[in-house]
Amino acid sequence: MAELATLARPYASAAFDIAKDQNQLDRWSDVLRLLTQTIQVSEVRQLIESPVHSPARKALGLTDLLGDQLTDSMRRFIQVLADNRRLELIPQVREAFEVRLEEERRTLAVEVTAAVELSDSERQRFEDALRRRFERDINLSSIVDPSVLGGALIRAGDTVLDGTVRGKLEKLRAHMQRA
Amino acid sequence: MDTLNPSEISELIKGRISQLDVAVQPQNEGTIVSVSDGIVRIHGLAEAQYGEMIEFPGGVFGMAMNLERDSVGAVVLGEYRELSEGMTARCTKRIAEVPTGPEMLGRVVDALGNPIDGKGPIQASSSSPIEKVAPGVIARQGVSEPVQLGIKCIDAMIPIGRGQRELIIGDRQIGKTAIAVDAIINQKGTGIKCIYVAIGQKMSTIANIVRTLEESGAMEHTVVVSASAAEPAPLQYIAPYSGCSIGEYFRDRGEDALIIYDDLTKQAWAYRQISLLLRRPPGREAYPGDIFYLHSRLLERAARVNADYVEQMTNGEVKGKTGSLTALPIIETQAGDVGAFVPTNVISITDGQIYLETDRFNAGIRPAMSPGISVSRVGGDAQVDFMRRLAGGIKLALAQYRELAAFSQFASDLDEATRRQLEHGERVEELMKQPQFSPMSVAEMGVSLFAANEGYLDNVPVNKVLDFERDLLSYMNSEHGEWMADITATGRHDDEVVEYMKKAVDEFASSHDYGAE
Repeated sequence: MAELATLARPYASAAFDIAKDQNQLDRWSDVLRLLTQTIQVSEVRQLIESPVHSPARKALGLTDLLGDQLTDSMRRFIQVLADNRRLELIPQVREAFEVRLEEERRTLAVEVTAAVELSDSERQRFEDALRRRFERDINLSSIVDPSVLGGALIRAGDTVLDGTVRGKLEKLRAHMQRA
Repeated sequence: MDTLNPSEISELIKGRISQLDVAVQPQNEGTIVSVSDGIVRIHGLAEAQYGEMIEFPGGVFGMAMNLERDSVGAVVLGEYRELSEGMTARCTKRIAEVPTGPEMLGRVVDALGNPIDGKGPIQASSSSPIEKVAPGVIARQGVSEPVQLGIKCIDAMIPIGRGQRELIIGDRQIGKTAIAVDAIINQKGTGIKCIYVAIGQKMSTIANIVRTLEESGAMEHTVVVSASAAEPAPLQYIAPYSGCSIGEYFRDRGEDALIIYDDLTKQAWAYRQISLLLRRPPGREAYPGDIFYLHSRLLERAARVNADYVEQMTNGEVKGKTGSLTALPIIETQAGDVGAFVPTNVISITDGQIYLETDRFNAGIRPAMSPGISVSRVGGDAQVDFMRRLAGGIKLALAQYRELAAFSQFASDLDEATRRQLEHGERVEELMKQPQFSPMSVAEMGVSLFAANEGYLDNVPVNKVLDFERDLLSYMNSEHGEWMADITATGRHDDEVVEYMKKAVDEFASSHDYGAE
């Protein structure tokens, strides 16, 4: 079975190229986010997954929902996805699209998990430090998770920097068990 | 054991805590997408290398085997039932490796080099990746020194040299392992280190072999690498490579080592299982396309290397010594079919084979080696002079005997010369029998062969041949012990040796009577 991400990649790069040509990267990004949220609504899900409706009907349903937010090329993009029975891939298409967008703009989405809410000055310091390290502009999002106890866990794509107290305790446990 | 001192323990713990490195290192992580039959698919892990160890929660490790665009397929080296979808997997930036060094001798370890004999942790001096590239042509040297297996029919007819790959092939329950174990026992005191790799065998069988080796005092120069039938397939797959790395340590330090892979059929099965589960396309007999490479890259690592290579590998520590790793892979056939896929592959890779036949085994000829189809392509150069001169006649006598025996079934009366040849052949065949765990020295084998060549056996009834041999050897060892030791040590063969031997055997023959028919 092919990975969903692998299946979604050609659609995402096609969408990205069109968006870039039309200079509408932000609009496409917004619409893909909207589409991702839309298909998570259970009625919409039912429509998409239903074997009864034709691909054209499904595409029409989606485009009708989003109405005038869509450009013509977006409508046609949804039509192509529907014809190939790949509407379920929209979340993965969005993910791949965002990756391309980050590369294009040399930005990086970074997730910081800490035990408490970050203050503005802390956010700023994280952003500055991460910008130097990754040499990219940083889109920081923060998550509060008391179970990390202290410190922060930084996640950028596959790369993880674990500076939390929980991570250190786990390291200590593994180290002692190896004795 | 001394009584435990509580402060000592807390000191130990403090020491360990202070050693812990808590510096934050960037790590590459992925998420487990699926777990099935020991195969884990991981999304992410973009920096994983081929063969890299992957760490799962709970201290379980895996090995990356399929690197795809968005995911990594890894095999779990251990218990995979604890793993589930959504868990994180981490790159360790380490290729699978095993501890190596002289500390391994006398130990029983698993495929990753962890001790399983209950004798405590191994403080190995070094470690080595399990997969390494074999030495190239520049580093190699011809095979010129023998490995004595202590088994007459093999050392006489199918001599094996240090650095050679000699396949032991035959059906189940025919004495393949027995030859291997005898070979290990016979290396006692020769300086040859032995590695016995058990793949897919019953734990009871492995325990028996270890006990046998211990009882014969052969465990001191032996490492047993065990991947029993109960271990997951990936461990059975890597066990031969691990064993090979342990053996290469000795080879690269200018020592001699002997490694036995018992058996590669089961390793091929394990690899087939992994490959099919990783969805690699099946080929002949459902084996994957790289099954030949599986065995060729392993057996190429058995080699004789020259002194320059050894000097380079030890950074000049060991000079002027060549090293060798001799491999005795074992392959099990089904109903004597050597034409099956894996047997033909391994036959073509190795430098000869010892073929064991069911018919001979059932006829009581043990070891059941078939002298007709067993060959050694390079060992002849390595055979000591003494053996080479005496063994020539044996091969010829057996070949003629086989031919005549088939022919004479139809003939009612035979001429004198043919009858004599048949009778001689019959006795030589009887002489080639040898019980298990009773290895013979070079001198002992030579004297036996000499007696056969010179016709001393012709007046001995066939069923008394082994008695004759036993008495002759005990006579030689007690009356001419020094001479025997000298021959075993030097392996020389000249007129003086022949004359001495003739006189001694004459002496023995004149005082012993085995009742001529």
